[in-house]
Amino acid sequence: MIARLVLLALLPVTAGLALLQRRRLYAIIGMALFSLLLASVFFLSHAPDVAITEAAVGAALVTFIYVLAIRRTGKLTVVANEVPGLFERSGNQLQGLEWEILDRLARRLGLDLAVRFVPLEEVEGSLLQGNADVGAGGLILDGCHRRLLRTPDYLPTARFSIMGPAAAETGDESEGAEGMPLRGYLSDIVDDVQAGRSVTIRLDLARFHALSRYGLEGYRVVRHDGEWGYAMAVAPERRDLHRQLGALLKQLRETGELQQMTRENLP
Amino acid sequence: MIRRETIASASRSSAVLAVIAVLLVGLFCVVVILELGYSGPRPIDVDRWIRVAEEAGATNVVSSIYLGARLFDTILEVLVFAVATLGVRFYLGTRGYKEVVQSIPESNVVRVGAAVLLPPVLLLGIYVVAYGHLSPGGGFAGGVIAASGLLLAAIALGTERINARLRPAVLHGFEWGVLLAILTLATLPAPLSMPLLSDPLPSGRMGSLVSGGSIPLYNAMIGVKVFLSSWVIAKHFVDHRGEI
Amino acid sequence: MGAFHGVTIAIVLFGIGVLGLVIRKDLVIKLLALGLTNSATILCLVSLDSRTPGAAPILVPGVEAIVDPLPQAIVLSAIVINFAILALALVFVMLLVERYHTTDSARIERETNAEEETWS
Repeated sequence: MIARLVLLALLPVTAGLALLQRRRLYAIIGMALFSLLLASVFFLSHAPDVAITEAAVGAALVTFIYVLAIRRTGKLTVVANEVPGLFERSGNQLQGLEWEILDRLARRLGLDLAVRFVPLEEVEGSLLQGNADVGAGGLILDGCHRRLLRTPDYLPTARFSIMGPAAAETGDESEGAEGMPLRGYLSDIVDDVQAGRSVTIRLDLARFHALSRYGLEGYRVVRHDGEWGYAMAVAPERRDLHRQLGALLKQLRETGELQQMTRENLP
Repeated sequence: MIRRETIASASRSSAVLAVIAVLLVGLFCVVVILELGYSGPRPIDVDRWIRVAEEAGATNVVSSIYLGARLFDTILEVLVFAVATLGVRFYLGTRGYKEVVQSIPESNVVRVGAAVLLPPVLLLGIYVVAYGHLSPGGGFAGGVIAASGLLLAAIALGTERINARLRPAVLHGFEWGVLLAILTLATLPAPLSMPLLSDPLPSGRMGSLVSGGSIPLYNAMIGVKVFLSSWVIAKHFVDHRGEI
Repeated sequence: MGAFHGVTIAIVLFGIGVLGLVIRKDLVIKLLALGLTNSATILCLVSLDSRTPGAAPILVPGVEAIVDPLPQAIVLSAIVINFAILALALVFVMLLVERYHTTDSARIERETNAEEETWS
């Protein structure tokens, strides 16, 4: 029977394509299609009982269950690195400039905000894998992955390099010395500075402000030339979110609310 | 399509190993099947099943096999199903997210459509179960069809309304009660000095609705069991919002 | 004749399922690949009995030769039971994700190993 052979040949193609998808939802839909094809093959192989059961179970119930498991009902997932002034925890609550912006966005879209704090270098990876929708936390995204959607800069910033006491004593005169980019959490650097350990780090303005409160005598501070800005990153599949976040930022800037929020959060 | 982030770099070698292993297994399977020269069942085998079916009075030969001659396997499989449901209920009920999902009020089209579609789907499920010994279908398929109809209604109308009608405690009782009934019917012939798992009921005219001995009874009970268990599984998935 | 094609496609599907299980890191897709393996087994069994030139195993008056009904009977309840087992496996995946906040199996492995080291 020609139809049966054609369908049989289509089966591995469908299955392979379904399992190679990047988004989980597409893989699930591909497997539902595979289930339907399989039910047809069963019917054409003179097994009607098996065909009915496979169609009812595979195409309907299994797909239902998977989609119910991976749906995110109305949650806006933010993955962030903690930065005082921009996005920080204080007791049970969150505060900061970025948090206020994202909170506004979530309220406007009718979603609720779920925040996860991760080390700085994992923000991009989380967004790319689809584990979160928005990445925040004092990010300067001029070298970010090209698939991430980047909002326009909402706050200008500068870059500083801080080098530990040891380097300052050896009289390292190289002006172009740069610290390592921050990895992990800012609180680790704060601990290092308080303990007087050697630190070679490159920070942005907000983190530098926070760090300087702990006393940076003995550390060499170099400010880099150039202009940078803080921005937020959106996962590649959420173009709608990107558009709305951009629109919200534009509106906040135009009405002057952005300046007011900045003043309140970053004295 | 596939990207580097989705392939673990540590398992490249194991992926190659898996491909080689699968190819070897496939080769082995093909060789074995061709070697057996399995040209087909001897006609006498198939006739035997036809005779079994005619004796039981059921037109659907497959159902007379798995509810007649091989009833034992079917009962144990239903038991596995019940235990899996128990597992889902335990793990999602006690360890899942505690927040209850607010059901989003759907638009009128969805709500009215689901309310209108629910009775025909349930009727289709009952039909498939009832005529399971005459045409393709049976308890498993019919129960699953009815459960997916109920799931449609639950998604569109919200699980609170369904829970008000089918209270979880009553559901629990019915689920395990039906399982008990299946086991009772299967062991019933023993005190009546008939061999275990055989047909205690008379088989009527072949091809009519009332025929096939106890096969329609089994179909009905398995249909109810599968329906209730699938609904319980699906309800827990709907209620406990995951973080995936 | 028809059996051979069915069986080879079933073996190929099984291979795709196992490959998908090993290669993809995402836990949900690993489960989907396992389900594909299930379906491949069922296809193999069902196509083994479509050899005899017969009709479907329903005794409608006029049907003389039917296909072998035994593999179909074996496989029928297996399909529904597979669904229940798959649901249970999905529950475990959901609990894992809640604990580790990621569906990346490599990362979960790393964190589990790290935890084990801190315990021992």
